[in-house]
Amino acid sequence: MMQYKKIVSALVLSGLVASPIIAFANDSAELEELRGLVQELNQKVKILERKDEIAQEIAATAKKETPVVNTTKDGFGFQSADGNFKIKLRGLLQVDERNYSNVGGLGADGKNISGFDLRRIRPIVEGTVYDKYDFRFAPEFGEAKTANATSTSGIVDAYVDARFQPWFQVRAGKFKPYVGLERLQSGGELKFIERSYVSNNILPNRDLGAAIHGDLLDGKLNYSAGIYNGVVDGGDNSTAQDTNQDKEYALRIFTTPFKDSDNLVAGLGFGLAATHGNFKGTTTASGLPNYKTAGQESNFFTYSSGVFGNGNRDRLSPQAYYYYGPFGLIAEYARVSQDVSNGALSNRLDNDAWQIAASYLLTGEDASFKGVKPSQPFDTEKGGWGAWELVARYQENDIDSGAFSSGTAAGVVTTTRYADPRNNARSAKSWAAGVNWYLNQNVKLALDYENTSFNGGGNANAAGTAGAGSFIDIANRPSERTLFTRLQLSY
Amino acid sequence: MKKTLLSIVLAAAVLNFAAVTVASAKEVTLLNVSYDPTRELYVDYNAAFSKYWQTKTGDIVKVNQSHGGSGKQARAVIDGLQADVATLALAYDVDQLYEKGKLIPQDWQKRLQHNSSPYTSTIVFLVRKGNPKNIKDWDDVVKPGISVITPNPKTSGGARWNYLAAYAYALKHNNNDDAKAKEFVGKLYKNVPVLDSGARGSTTTFVERGIGDVLLAWENEAFLAQKELGAGKVEIVVPSLSILAEPPVTVVDKFAKKHGNEAVAKAYLEYLYSDEAQDIIGKNYYRPTSEAAAKKYESQFPKLNLVKIDDVFGGWTKAQKTHFSDGGVFDQIYQK
Repeated sequence: MMQYKKIVSALVLSGLVASPIIAFANDSAELEELRGLVQELNQKVKILERKDEIAQEIAATAKKETPVVNTTKDGFGFQSADGNFKIKLRGLLQVDERNYSNVGGLGADGKNISGFDLRRIRPIVEGTVYDKYDFRFAPEFGEAKTANATSTSGIVDAYVDARFQPWFQVRAGKFKPYVGLERLQSGGELKFIERSYVSNNILPNRDLGAAIHGDLLDGKLNYSAGIYNGVVDGGDNSTAQDTNQDKEYALRIFTTPFKDSDNLVAGLGFGLAATHGNFKGTTTASGLPNYKTAGQESNFFTYSSGVFGNGNRDRLSPQAYYYYGPFGLIAEYARVSQDVSNGALSNRLDNDAWQIAASYLLTGEDASFKGVKPSQPFDTEKGGWGAWELVARYQENDIDSGAFSSGTAAGVVTTTRYADPRNNARSAKSWAAGVNWYLNQNVKLALDYENTSFNGGGNANAAGTAGAGSFIDIANRPSERTLFTRLQLSY
Repeated sequence: MKKTLLSIVLAAAVLNFAAVTVASAKEVTLLNVSYDPTRELYVDYNAAFSKYWQTKTGDIVKVNQSHGGSGKQARAVIDGLQADVATLALAYDVDQLYEKGKLIPQDWQKRLQHNSSPYTSTIVFLVRKGNPKNIKDWDDVVKPGISVITPNPKTSGGARWNYLAAYAYALKHNNNDDAKAKEFVGKLYKNVPVLDSGARGSTTTFVERGIGDVLLAWENEAFLAQKELGAGKVEIVVPSLSILAEPPVTVVDKFAKKHGNEAVAKAYLEYLYSDEAQDIIGKNYYRPTSEAAAKKYESQFPKLNLVKIDDVFGGWTKAQKTHFSDGGVFDQIYQK
């Protein structure tokens, strides 16, 4: 608007206006006319200035009331002008190409199940109301081809998290119980295409319940205590009502004592988690799990028909991670002690699993528990190659020897227990190696090869015959081999 | 010795009583959502009421004020601005608190004297010192070349009073011919170079920014501008006819109840009718409704022919629908 003032001044000072003043200085009528003209121009300038001022006031007010739309690398969202209401739209899509050989160690070549698979299809809605109350709603449209899948869709997460204080927060709904370290890692941030036996076979996946949790000591100590309906090992509870009388209680404490330092152990975190529940199953609703092979397509251990959970189920899981520069390591152990019955026979079985997995970012980015941010996104024109990561893992899942029946050389059962050793392995041991290519923070390509060997369980088809297949000489299942690839989009 | 002992006991009792009183006193915060030119009035009134209330109950009242165009303020309350009381420019805007928000009862206007209007005002002209454009009545305002400052009737209560005063004048001088009255106000708004959202904004435009030949103003705003905001630069011209503006007040029941402020909010408005408050009203150039205060400040206010909205326009609901609703007369005559 200052330019209008300048125009008026220029007119007054310039020949256009000044010349007539000089030329007709004695003509008062002309002077009056010029004076009027200047005043008129002055008014017009002031009006324009005022209109601009009012427009700015209106714009400032509108800005305070206009919802804000965000589109960032972290997703799409919008929020009210006062920030009290926020919605974020996120998603996770995993397109796998899976190749199996000797599925579950049972001799099948796996061609019939090898192929493309939509492992996770999750449109996710997250939000915050009144600054402190977060919510997350995530349906699942994938997961059709995992062992024991009962449905192809459902609700993965549906919870509210009230952040009263950093050290006192309450979460309720369906969510990941605060137990397993790798389980708490987002499905889009995993180092391997499938999680370990610890997560998939022993510790709970998702459950319905409520938990208090929070960070103490400047975030160096995280705690949680929750009460849940209770799920079988590796289980994902549906949203249906609880079917037993007791609840499962979970406690976890995890610390990163050196996290703000700059020494070698700054990226060290370790903790301990435990659950306890008391459940009584029936011969038709056993309340007992099946343990899957690493390929997630077949079980290597299943309790015999008629066996059911009958008492306490306790889990204990020490866990740790370590990150230093591009190097990452996660180590986790879990043991479940389960009371079981088979007719008049009862026992407490201890099954356990553990894993150790290492990762190294060839392109030099910092490794972390929460995904990888490529320093240079893949771009052929700009020359960026994204982030490349090598990963390796060893894991085991061991079944309590007390679970297995024993028999004669002829394969006749002499001692009935809880599982037939002829067609159930006593352990599964897997090693895996792979490479991850993070094209950018949202798109990832992954390739994993995994070899799983079994102890026992290899004579199911020859039961009752002498020699191979007898209880005395139960062969090991042949190794399962898988080659998985994945294209993942997460935002 | 006995006297000393008695004095000590009495002093202790007094101190104890005072301590109990202080300890039991509570702080109350009210929000008064009002229209644009009432800032100064309620600053004075709030101080008086707080003193009165503390003396009466021991409680300390703090009154927060919110000001803006009356229509805009009503919408803000409907949209969630949690006012304990609303003191707006016209009854239609208060009606909306019932119609659109069910925040108050339908018969809110019957709860206090004078249809819940503790003060009145009217519309006058404010012109430049010496009245260089010789503006004396409404006919002068609509002449070509006269620059008129008035706020937007869509957002400002005062602007609606301005509009209706001009319209009433035109009806009177054209045998109640609506077409001619429309033409009259059409000419008036052709002379308006800028529309502010509220009356105080228009005063700023006229007095501080130096725009326009005449400001159509609340009477109290005109006095304030003449004596304080633009002292020595402007003067008041009283038209031959204007309109009686009756700004109403109400407790916003839903929010006052929610805040636990019902009693104090009710008392806050009732006290507006007290002698002390009516005196403050007069001092701030609003026309008091009490006889005593009206008489005291009689000489302050010019005598002019004031018409009532009910008589000329059939009440606020009808006037709003005809003139200020979307597609109404104002939209028809106002060319942006």
